[in-house]
Amino acid sequence: MESLSLVHDVLDAQLVDRREEKIGRADSLLLELRDGAPPRVTTILIGGAVRAERIGPWMTWLHRAIRRLMRREQDGVSRIPFSAMRRVGDTVQLDVDGEQLESGHLERWLAKHAVCRIPGASGERK
Amino acid sequence: MKKWAEVALGVVTSIGGFLEVGSIATATQGGAEFGFQLTWVLLLGVVSLAFLMEMTGRLAAVSRRTYVDLLREQFGVRFFMLPLAGVLVVSVLVLSAEIGGVSVALQMATGLGFRWWAIPVVVVGWFLLWRGTFGLVEQGTAMLGLVAITFAVGAVKMHPHWAQLGASLVPSAPTHDRARYWYLAVSILGASISPYLYLFYSAGAIEDEWTLDHIGVNRVTAGLGNLFGGVLVIAALVVAALVFAPRHIQVDRYEQIALVLASPLGRAGFVLFLATLCITCFGTTLEIVLAVAYLLAQGFGWSWSENLKPDKDARFSVTYSVVLLLAAVPVVLGLDPLFLTNISMVLTAASLPVTVLPLISLMNDEHTLRTHVNGWLSNTALIVISILSVVLLLAAFPLQMLGGG
Repeated sequence: MESLSLVHDVLDAQLVDRREEKIGRADSLLLELRDGAPPRVTTILIGGAVRAERIGPWMTWLHRAIRRLMRREQDGVSRIPFSAMRRVGDTVQLDVDGEQLESGHLERWLAKHAVCRIPGASGERK
Repeated sequence: MKKWAEVALGVVTSIGGFLEVGSIATATQGGAEFGFQLTWVLLLGVVSLAFLMEMTGRLAAVSRRTYVDLLREQFGVRFFMLPLAGVLVVSVLVLSAEIGGVSVALQMATGLGFRWWAIPVVVVGWFLLWRGTFGLVEQGTAMLGLVAITFAVGAVKMHPHWAQLGASLVPSAPTHDRARYWYLAVSILGASISPYLYLFYSAGAIEDEWTLDHIGVNRVTAGLGNLFGGVLVIAALVVAALVFAPRHIQVDRYEQIALVLASPLGRAGFVLFLATLCITCFGTTLEIVLAVAYLLAQGFGWSWSENLKPDKDARFSVTYSVVLLLAAVPVVLGLDPLFLTNISMVLTAASLPVTVLPLISLMNDEHTLRTHVNGWLSNTALIVISILSVVLLLAAFPLQMLGGG
C-alpha cells in the first residue's frame, strides 16, 4: 500500500482543477472526529482566512479588518471534500471546477472589473 | 544548434541583466573612493550570484517547478511570509531606484526633470508587459543591454595598470575610511547578489519550459553570463578609479557618474553612458516587477505566466501593474535617485539570508532533485554564501549608519 504524507505531499501543495488550471494552494486540511471510529481527513481548505490562521493571530486580525473594510460577507474560503482528490504529484489535482470556487472570487472580480476594461486583455494568444 | 542558440541567448541575457542602476552606482563610487581596491568584492559577488543562479536553474530544470513554488510547499506558509515580505519590500525599493535610473538618464538627455519621466517610463514598461511575451522581455532587453559593453571599451582605452588590477582581486583591508570602505563593500554585494535575479531566472526556466536537457545550458549560462556581466561592472569600477580617484572626486550625483566615460570616449562616451543607464535600468525594471508578480502568484498558487493574456491570470497581471505604479511614487515625489539606489542596495544585502538559507535544504533534497542534488563544490559554495549572507545582515545596518553618509 502506498502512503501519503499529508504535510509533505498535500499541505501547501499547488492545487489544480479538472482542467489543470491553478486554483490556489492547500492552505489547511480538516479532520472529522467520529464516535467509535478513527478520525479521517475530510476537507481541503483554500483561502486567505485559513492561511491567516496558520500564520498567527495578528494576520487573522489583519485579514478580518480588510474584509470588514471591503464589506464582504463571505469568508472567501473554499471547502473541497478530500474525496475530490484525483492525483498527487508536483501538483494536486481536484475534481472541481475552478470557476465556481469561492476562493477564486478575487481573480474573477479583477478579471471582470479591472483587467477586461483595459484593451488587449483577452484573446487567444499574446 | 538550437542548444547553442539558447546558450548564447542566456549568456547575453545575463550580461545585459548584470549591469543596472545598483551596480553602476556602487562600482563607480567604489572606484572613485578606493581605486581598484574593491575589485575583489565584485568578484565575490559575481561568483556567488553565478552559483545561486546555477542552483535555482537546476532546481527548475529537474523538478519543473520554480524556487518559490518549492519554498512555499516545503517550508509552509508561516515561514514563507519571511522571504515574501523581505523580497517584496526590497524589490519595490530597488524597482524605484531602477525607474529613477531611467528617469535620470532621460533628464540628462532632454533637460526635463527626472520626476516628470517616472510615469511615462512606467507606462511604457507596463504596456510591454501587458502585450508582450516572456521571450520579448527577456531577449529584447538582453540585445539592447549589450550597449553596456561601452564600459569595457572605456576601461581598455584608459590603459589601466593590469598587474595592479589583478592584485586587487585578492581581498585587502583599507588604510583610510574603514567604515566607508566596508559600507561600499556591502552595497556592491547587495547590487550583485539580488534575490529578484534568481527568482526571475528560476521562473524564466519554467516559462521557457526547461527540462533535464537544459542542465548544461543552465550551467554555461549561469557561469559565462555572470562572468561577462561581472567583467563589465569591473570595467565600470576601473574607469571610475582612473577618472575620479586621482582628482579626489567623490561621486554623489548621477550627473557626475555620467561623465565617467567622457574621459576615454569623449562626447560619444557621454551619450553611450546615458543609453546604457537608460536601457539596462529599463530592462531591470521589467525583470524586477515580473519577479515580484511571480513571487506572489507562485507563493499563493495563482495562475501565472507572462505568455498568457492578462485576463487568464488577472491577479498576476494586476500585481505587476500596481507594483509598477507604486514604485514610481518615490521618483515622482523627487526622492534623490542615487540615495534611493544606495539605501536599496544595503537593504538587498540584508535580505539575503531568507532566500539563500532555504537552498541548503532544497538543493540537497533527493526527493525533488534525485541524482542532481548539490555536489561538494556547490555545497561548499552555498555554505560560504550562507555565512556571507548572515554577515551582511548583521553588518548592513551598522555600516549604513557609519559609512552611508
